[in-house]
Parts: sequence; C-alpha cells; structure tokens
Amino acid sequence: MNQRIRRLAVVLIVLYVVLFAQLNFIQVGQKPTLDADTRNTRQTVRDYNDPRGDIRTSDDVVIATSVRNKAGSEFDWQRTYPEGDLYSAITGYFTFGYGATQIEKVQNDVLAGRTIEQQIKGFRSLFNGENTTGTVETTIDADIQQAAKDALGNREGSVVVIEPATGAVIAMWSWPTYDTNLVAVQDNELAGDVLNYLNDIPGKPLLANAYQERYMPGSTFKVITTAAALDDGLITRESTWADESEFLPPQTTDPIQNYGNKVCGGDLPEVFLRSCNTPFARIAIELGPEKMVAAAKRFGIGEVIPFDLPRSTSSQFGDVEYFTQNLPLLGIGGFGQGNTQMVPLHMAMVAASIAHGGVMMKPYVIGATYDHDGGVLQRTVPTVWKTPMTPATSALLTELMVGVVNEGTAKCCMNLANGIQAAAKTGTAQLNAAGEPERSHAWITAFAPAQAPKYAIVVMLKGTTAEISEGTGGTLAGPVAKKVLDVALAQ
Amino acid sequence: MTDTNNVIAARRRSTEFRLVLMAGIITAGAYTLASLGQNSVIPPRILPFLAVLLLVLMSAHIGVRWLAQGADSTLLPVATLLNGIGYVMIARLSERLAGLQTTWTFVAVAAFVGVLFVIQRVNDLARYKWTFFFFGAGLLLLPMVPGIGFSSGGARIWVSVGPINFQPGEFAKIALALFIAGYLADNRELIAAGTWKVGRFYLPEPRHLLPLLAAWGFSVVVMVGQKDLGSSLLFFTLFIVMVWVATEKTSFLVIGLGLFATGATAAYFMFDHVQTRVAIWLDPWSRYDGKGYQIAQAMYALGSGGVGGTGLGLGDPTRIPEAKNDFIFAAIGEELGLFGSTAILIAFLLLIGAGLRTAMRTSRPFEKLLAVGLTTILGMQAFIIIGGVIRVVPLTGITLPFVSYGGSSLVANYVLLALLIRVSDSSARRLGEIADSATFSERFATRLAQRRVRKHPEELEAMS
Repeated sequence: MNQRIRRLAVVLIVLYVVLFAQLNFIQVGQKPTLDADTRNTRQTVRDYNDPRGDIRTSDDVVIATSVRNKAGSEFDWQRTYPEGDLYSAITGYFTFGYGATQIEKVQNDVLAGRTIEQQIKGFRSLFNGENTTGTVETTIDADIQQAAKDALGNREGSVVVIEPATGAVIAMWSWPTYDTNLVAVQDNELAGDVLNYLNDIPGKPLLANAYQERYMPGSTFKVITTAAALDDGLITRESTWADESEFLPPQTTDPIQNYGNKVCGGDLPEVFLRSCNTPFARIAIELGPEKMVAAAKRFGIGEVIPFDLPRSTSSQFGDVEYFTQNLPLLGIGGFGQGNTQMVPLHMAMVAASIAHGGVMMKPYVIGATYDHDGGVLQRTVPTVWKTPMTPATSALLTELMVGVVNEGTAKCCMNLANGIQAAAKTGTAQLNAAGEPERSHAWITAFAPAQAPKYAIVVMLKGTTAEISEGTGGTLAGPVAKKVLDVALAQ
Repeated sequence: MTDTNNVIAARRRSTEFRLVLMAGIITAGAYTLASLGQNSVIPPRILPFLAVLLLVLMSAHIGVRWLAQGADSTLLPVATLLNGIGYVMIARLSERLAGLQTTWTFVAVAAFVGVLFVIQRVNDLARYKWTFFFFGAGLLLLPMVPGIGFSSGGARIWVSVGPINFQPGEFAKIALALFIAGYLADNRELIAAGTWKVGRFYLPEPRHLLPLLAAWGFSVVVMVGQKDLGSSLLFFTLFIVMVWVATEKTSFLVIGLGLFATGATAAYFMFDHVQTRVAIWLDPWSRYDGKGYQIAQAMYALGSGGVGGTGLGLGDPTRIPEAKNDFIFAAIGEELGLFGSTAILIAFLLLIGAGLRTAMRTSRPFEKLLAVGLTTILGMQAFIIIGGVIRVVPLTGITLPFVSYGGSSLVANYVLLALLIRVSDSSARRLGEIADSATFSERFATRLAQRRVRKHPEELEAMS
C-alpha cells in the first residue's frame, strides 16, 4: 500500500501547487485589474475612513478639516469646509465615490499621512495611536480672499492677487462657484446628484474660471504688445502716432477702428493711457507675425500655466503661419481682440512680471506642507518661469501703467486709500460682431504700490449681463481691484 | 522504559515543545499586530490572552508527552499554528466570536487529550467498525430530525440542542473514515482478488463489496440531500482514495472517477444550486449583485493583499461575507498577502506529509488506512475550500480545518489529529523506537487479574 500512499502524496502536492499558482495569478497577476475595478471600493473606503489633515490659509484660517462622526455612522470621519464656498476652487472636494479635486487631490498623500517621510516619522503612531496626517498651508490670505469675494459680488468673473516677487497666489476667487460641503457628503448618491446639477447649470461653477478658463483680454493685452515692441527697439517712449479713427491693414478692405470710433493719437504714454487701438494694431503688424508670436511665447502664452493645482489651462495667441495669412487678425490681436485669449491668472502674472523687473515667477498656492508634529515636509521655493522683458522695458511699462491710473482709462476708479500709487491697464474685450448687441468682458490688470510693488491683481468680469457689457474695464473692474488692493495694502 | 528507548521519544517531544512554542509566539505576535493595526493599541487583554494561549498549547503538548511519547513531532505544532492564525483573524473580525472560539479551543484541546487518553490501542477500534458506521450515519441523519435539525446558508447540516449548535457531519467524517478503514483492513484482499466472473471481467464478490457500497452510497445520498456539496465531495474522495490505497487496484480509481463524473453531471442537471455554483465559479463578475458577490469580494480582498498583504488589522476583510468561516482564507490573503496565504498552503502540506508518513511507517493495514483516510480528510477539505475561494474549483461551503470559526469543526479536527498522533505513536512503539509499556487500562486490567489470582488461586490452576 505504501506505493499508493506515495502516489497519493504526489497527487495532493500537485493539487496544492495548483492552488499556489492560482494565488500568484490573483494576488500578483490580477492585482492591478482587481484594484482598478470600479465596484472594488476597498481603497476608497480606506482613504475615506482615514483621518485627514487640515488645509489652512497663510494666516491660519482652517479651510478644510475632518471631524469625527457620531458613533454608528457609516464612516468615522466627515470632511468639512468651514468657509463654505470661499475656498472651493482652492481646496477642491474630497468625496467617497467621486474622487477629489484641487488640493484635496494633489496633496492627498500629505493630508492622509501617506508620504514616505510621514510613514517613517509616523512609525511610532503604530504604538501610541496618534494619527500621522499632514497639513497643507496655502499662500492665500483669508482677508484678501474675502475682500475679493465681496468686491466681485454676484457678477460672473474672477479676481486673482499674486505676489510679484514670488508668484505666491494671495487670493483667487471665481464666481460662480459652489459650496464644497454640498459635494463632500456621506450619501454617495446625493453627491452624484449635486455634481450632475453643478455640471449642467450655466456658468460652470465646478470650473474655477480664474485658472481653468480663458477669455478674450481686450486692451490689457496691449502691455504684451508694448513690451514686445520696446524690447525689439521698434518703438521707444518717444514714438508718436498720428491722430486717426481707423487704420486699414493689408490684406483687407475692412478697417480697424478705435473704441467708440474715437480719433486717437500721440506719443506712447498718450496712446497707452487713452488705450487707442490703431497704434497697437500698427505695432503688431510692423513687428510681424514671427516677432509677435515669439513675444507671446516669452510670456508663456500657449503653454499650460505651471500651477500647483490640477487642470490649469493655457492662454492663446496664434501661430506664425496663421497670422502671416491673416495680418488684420494680427493687428487686432495686438490689442487683445480676435482669437487672443488669456487665463485671468496668467494676466495677473503678466502684471506681476512688470512689477518684478520683467521676471515672471511660477504661480503657486501651496505654500508649505507639514507633518503631524508641525515639521516642514516641503516648502515651495519660488522659481522663475519666464523672463518676458528687459528690466528697462518693465520700468517704462510701469510708468505707462501709472499714467493709466492717474490720467487714463482707470482714472475714475483706481485711486487707492492712503494715497498709494497703483499702476494698471484696463481692457474691454468686445465679444459681439458689428451690428449685434454690445457684449464685452471688463478687465483690469494692475499692481501696487507702483514703485515697490507688493501685489499684482487681475479682475475680470464676464460679459454675461447688460451691466457689464455696457461698462468698461476701468469703470467696472477698476473699483473691484481698488477694494481688494485697499484691503491688501492696509495690512 | 529504558534510557536508550527514551532518547528518540525525548528528542521528538522536545522538538515538538520548541515548535509549539514558536507557533505560540507567532500567534501572540500576530494578535498584537492585528490590534495595533486596527486600533493602534496594544491589545488590552494581552496578558489573559497569553495565559490562555500558553495554557492551551502546553495542555496539548503535555497530553502528547504523557500519552503518546513516540508520536510525530510536527503534527501538533502545525495544527496549533493554523489554529492560532485562524484565531487572530477571527478576533480581528469579531471580538464576540473570538470569545466563543476561545471556549471551543479549550473544548477541542480537552477532546484531543481525551481521545489520546481513552484510545491507547488504536487497533482496537477496528473491531467497532460497524458501530462507527451507525454512529456516523446517525450523526449524518441528525440534522434531518425535526425539532433539533435546522438549515443555515442553504444546507441542512445543523443541530441545535439547548444553547449549543453544532454540525454533526464534522464528526461523521471521522466515524466513517474509521468504518472504511476497519472494513477494508478485513476485506481488502477479497475485494482486490476479484473472484466473481462476469463475462470477461473478474469482479469482487458482491458480498464483500456490497456492504461498503451501501454504506458509502447512503452517506453520499444523505449529504447531497442536505445540499452539503462540500462534504459529499470530500466523502466521495475519501472513499475512493481509501479503496484505491487498500486494494492497490487502479481500476477502482478509474471507476470512482467515472462515478464522480456521472454523479457530478447528474447533480448539475438535477439541482439548481449546483448550476449556480458552477456559474459563479466560471464568472462571478456578471453575478456581482447576487450570488457572485462573495467570490468577487474574495478576489478584491486577495488582490488588495497583493504580495505583502495590507498588514494585520489594516485590511478590510469584513467586506467579504462569511469571512470568519468558509472565506477566512481570503481574509488571510488580504492582510498577510501572498506570503501569508502560501504559508497556510505549506502548513497544510506539512500536515499531509506528516499524516502520510505516519501511514507509511505503520505496518498494520487498519492503522495505515485510518491514517490515509484522516490525512485525506484534512488535505482534501482544505483543498476544496481554498480552491473554492480562489476559483480553482466551484465553491462548496465547508470549513478550513483548524482555521475557520466554528466549534464542531475545531473539536472534530482536534479529535482527528489525536487519532493521527495515536497511530504515529503506536507505530513508534511497534518499531521499538520507544518502550511499548502497558497502557493505563492494561495496567488496570493486570492489577485486577493479579488481585483475583491472589484471592482465588484455584481458578488459575483450573485454567492450566
């Protein structure tokens, strides 16, 4: 019988080897497929049930935190956003079934305590039960953020304040937006319904128009055209343009007109502060497609903005071939019409680069991350993104923009409190074709104090209402910028 | 007992002691880690736990040292390791069940020592083969008795007496293995000889084969009738393996496999629940919202464990329905990863190896067949349920020996282990590895006889 017993042993070993092979197949081979299965909620539940660190502003206002649920709830923790909708475009939401956005997404590992540093440091926590979650500190200033929200009111648009020397975003507000607490609910179905609703309504509240959308910039773009021409040597401060109400570019019979068909001309400060269109159309066409496109590229136009929040978009100008065949469009592109489109954040960066001696910093909103004991995990080091102009050009542009505030299109509205001098450029981007009802975006891009800039700002109001469409960048966006800068500079 | 004889036994027992201690250390470590992983605290009841663990392990070990000195040294440690890992997993899933499992472990170890004490001459059991059959058959039928029997999870295999619920089938398997071993030990040559000529074939005399076939047929029909597919499959395999080993006739193996194929096909077409089992085995995903959910969750659990596992207490095994029972292997695979699940496989292979080695060392047919039968029960039961969980074979509900939660299963498997250890010890005695000293009952009988001779010397004279 012993021979049969040996065979039995072999058969049983073979059976167990089959089990071992199948285990390898499942636990190693199929692991990625199984983990990715949408019905497999293990990882999500684990994440969702873990404690999670705070997100706060630079002045220590908590803007996202986790609170313990009552015993017996489905989940141990509830993510809450104490400031409602004020920071939704910055923190994003953290949901059970619909993922996470913005900081909740990109800093998930820090917040959940899952970076390698935290894991090593947190080894103790295995024994003493402390959690290992981390904190994210944004560069946002709570007062300035609130001021931006209040100043914009219920008009669609956005306000971005950045620090020219570092690229730190001090305030970033987009309207319409949504209350993050409505999405980060325990009821997964409800969260889905809310998201669907937010996706479907006009104004796209889920998109932060400050950095995820682009708009026609109007005359604010003239600072870029001017910088290009000054650096090229095509024009100087002393250049002059004859008075005219319209200019006929090559390749067309349709002339380019000044705003409101006004007669306009003079030296560079004059045409800049009055925001004449024809001189800048002439400059763009004289510079030619290659130089204009190259200048736009020096400003980072055409590239996705290297922001530390996800899904930022890029500004657009156009390419050489397109403009060579459409010189009139290059002309109107020179004053921010046509196909030119700018991301509001990018326009703020343009003002900041003028304020910062011609150097454009990478924008960032995540200032630093900390472990549970308050030790720094990572602190954002300001880095240069572009150098779009020479220091001399930036100094001259500052002078031109001061002129806009003191005698030009922003004279009405940019006299800051305490006599602080601002520098600005307005824009009124005409969206309607000739003969259609007026529709325009109102822009202002500015910085202050003009001689020792602390803040650069952009205000953009979307031309979705008659009130905005009938106004101009100076009269509509100007007061918003003034209110925000007053709060910021009062600190 | 002489000193030379004692050396082998002493070495075996001290090996067993060290291995049992290691199993204890692994269990205690795993218990602590699971608590740390789950609640980040050293388990509050760690001291009572260690005391109970030590008590259980040492009782079993001292039981073997006292009653089965010459037995194989790996059987008990591997079983206690499996029991320990199972306990840690159950405790991690439910504290309430952990308390019950502790009680059952005490009962099981008591039964283990009890069996070693009561059954000191394993060959004596062969005489009671028909008793074992009727005992086993009775146990199998018990769940059908109105009033005490009830079904749970689709199978009518439970009996409730007072506060205690148990599965008599777990014990019936051992009784039936004892019966088949006893019957074949007596009749195997007659069955193998094939003296009945039918046409061109020589078949075993019906009077030798029929009782066995009847007993086997009855058991399988009862188990199938109770919808206990796992047990019927296990018993079928047990029967075929034992007949094949006993008769050394491959034809029985072929006939057995043929019968199995026929039976399985018939069952497939006759029973809806068999069709469902096969369907969810082939594709659990399309039945995710129904019967396939459990297997799908087991797959997710194993996948989420990966190679290294999520760590004890850090996984999410409560999402698998019946994780404490039939699906405990998936829970282990999740938290201990491929390393842990493979360790379980290796532990069962070690048990199989030790069991079959025991079978090969003994010269007595009954002991040989009994050891083969008991080892087959262990090895096949583990294969059937692990294979069911990881989709090697269709899932048939059955416990994972020593690991799953459940009193009947745990006690029955410790009884089975005691019998294997007893066989192993008795062959060591016969091989002269240790002194074959008289057993407790033999010494008692001797003393009775001596007293009688002293009181009535005339009886002795009359006998001679």
